[in-house]
Amino acid sequence: MTGRVLHAHLHLLDRQVVRADGRLLCKVDDLEIETGEVPYVTAILAGPLALGPRVGGVIGRLMTGTTRLFRPEEGPAPPRVPMSLVAEIGGAVTVGGDVPEASLERWVRDHLVDPLPGSGGGQAGAGAPRPVRRSEVPVRDRLSSLVGRRVVDRDGGPVGQVADVQLTQDGPLLGETTQALRLSGLVVAPRHTGQLFGYERGPGGNSPALVRVVIRRLHQGSRFVAWEQIGDAGDPIRLTEPRAALLPLEELFTRGDASASA
Amino acid sequence: MKRFLAVTLGILTAIGGFVDIGDLVANALVGSRFGLSLAWVVVVGVVGICLFAEMAGRVAAVSGRPVFDLVRERLGPRAGLLNLAASFGINLLTLAAEIGGAALALELATGIDYLLWVPAVGLVAWLVMWRVRFETMERVFGLAGLALVVFLVAFFALDPDYGELGRQLTHNPSDDGAATYWYYAVALLGAAMTPYEVFFFSSGGVEERWTRRDLGVMRANVFVGFPLGGLLSIAIAACAATVFLPQMIEVGTLGQMVLPAGLAFGQIGLALVIFGVFAATFGATLETALSSGYSISQYFGWQWGKYVRPREAARFHATLLVSTIVAVALILTTIDPIKVTEYSLVLSAAALPLTYLPVLMIANDPDYMGDRVNGRLSNTLGTLYMILLLLVAVAAIPLMLATKAGQ
Repeated sequence: MTGRVLHAHLHLLDRQVVRADGRLLCKVDDLEIETGEVPYVTAILAGPLALGPRVGGVIGRLMTGTTRLFRPEEGPAPPRVPMSLVAEIGGAVTVGGDVPEASLERWVRDHLVDPLPGSGGGQAGAGAPRPVRRSEVPVRDRLSSLVGRRVVDRDGGPVGQVADVQLTQDGPLLGETTQALRLSGLVVAPRHTGQLFGYERGPGGNSPALVRVVIRRLHQGSRFVAWEQIGDAGDPIRLTEPRAALLPLEELFTRGDASASA
Repeated sequence: MKRFLAVTLGILTAIGGFVDIGDLVANALVGSRFGLSLAWVVVVGVVGICLFAEMAGRVAAVSGRPVFDLVRERLGPRAGLLNLAASFGINLLTLAAEIGGAALALELATGIDYLLWVPAVGLVAWLVMWRVRFETMERVFGLAGLALVVFLVAFFALDPDYGELGRQLTHNPSDDGAATYWYYAVALLGAAMTPYEVFFFSSGGVEERWTRRDLGVMRANVFVGFPLGGLLSIAIAACAATVFLPQMIEVGTLGQMVLPAGLAFGQIGLALVIFGVFAATFGATLETALSSGYSISQYFGWQWGKYVRPREAARFHATLLVSTIVAVALILTTIDPIKVTEYSLVLSAAALPLTYLPVLMIANDPDYMGDRVNGRLSNTLGTLYMILLLLVAVAAIPLMLATKAGQ
């Protein structure tokens, strides 16, 4: 049985994380990955320490810098939500279990909102557990570090840059029943042309033709790299095969369609 | 019967809530300078806002995700942040303009200088956002804003020269250059399609917990309420065209803008129109302030909304408080609120594609929408509007510089 196939950028990153009771928790600001024999996603990373490096530039550094300044520990880490708590991945990511809220929310509540009359609260928050701290999540353990990385083929010829990471839900067991999202492939775009917006995903319904044509055009020549074709996942990522052996993205979805209808 | 009532009430709220300080200023100004020769822009703008508000409302009802969630998700963190900065800034400017408008209406009513009213308006607005239920808030100020219908009645009571107004529909009566004409066209489009309207509309859908079953009511609000609101906008322009254009008076103050109603119905007309202007601008103050909280919370994934107690959405309520204070401070610098409105309109027009492109994309994504993805008509119109909005965005700032903001 093959597991569910997702794309990290398209289906997970930047989506809203919601608690089982409907309250909003955070965004999927980044994903933590386990880079072992079988690489898989271990946790959702949230907050400015996860978002900052993805925003990049001065603003991104300012985001992480300010956060570090106000955190007492050495090498503070972004809050994590373990993937074993994830119940559903849809328009939003639903998590079960008891996930602590962000510390900024707590601080603003304790120091600004609660003292105002009519905030509807007393001291209820006092007993709630404070978020558990961990030491820093290294950059190479973050999924976003793969995106944008250069890809070269067996002979060192350029293939392009990583535009998205394909995830397949057939990794090791997390908790009792859920299987982890294994990193199963890369979508490589020939140029730095921004996000794929999901329009590379094949004949996706009746999207506005003009927008689709423009975005397809920008990503012409994109290829799919299966995880097994990767020789060295450093920077740049070196493949074990020549460029010509890679599957063009267009064929990936026509093949996917054929197998779906069969 | 109950359903009928809900639909009617929703439509009336949409009409009253459509007009804000931006529509008021832009239409009165344009009416007094260009007659009805720019009325077509209002029509284009209303069709646009209907189109995109319907999409945003549909996404909110089907997937429960409001507009800025979509912006972040489709544009990614970097472009999303840029978008947030632009939208938030423009929103703050609009908020300041609305507070100024409400204070000016109070000055007209009481004779006490508007600067003294500004802090009071800010405080009351914050109290309403802090304590009043979302539905109550939206209904009360939307319905009160209906008092602006007096403009429509006044137009007929003024016994205008219909032949001349009809001629203006196709002939520009002004001798200003083409650049000025197009500058005001851009401002009018910005007024009709202000981005905060869709932020507020879709977030409001989530606040009121719309589901697929509410799609019918939502569409009725959009497709009946907004066009009637647009008609009100045109009536404001037509009144100004009737009263001021023949005298070559260029409208520059709120006092002049409400004058046509006074000319038609005396004191009662004036009282009604001032009440309407206050309700509309105060209602829009709430909408823009909430929109600033919605957009920033939805970008960062914070808990937002008035459907939870304030202490459960602490960062959201802190944003509302800070934005209101900053906007009040901006107006207290004695900057002219009418000028602030004009600038916010043109900047809004420049930022339109940033908001509407992600909406168009997600409305087509079966992951979110299931079988409720866009039909062919929505997509064709949506694409045409995207091209139009891109052109407007490129032209807005150069036109502003070239015409010295419409001088």
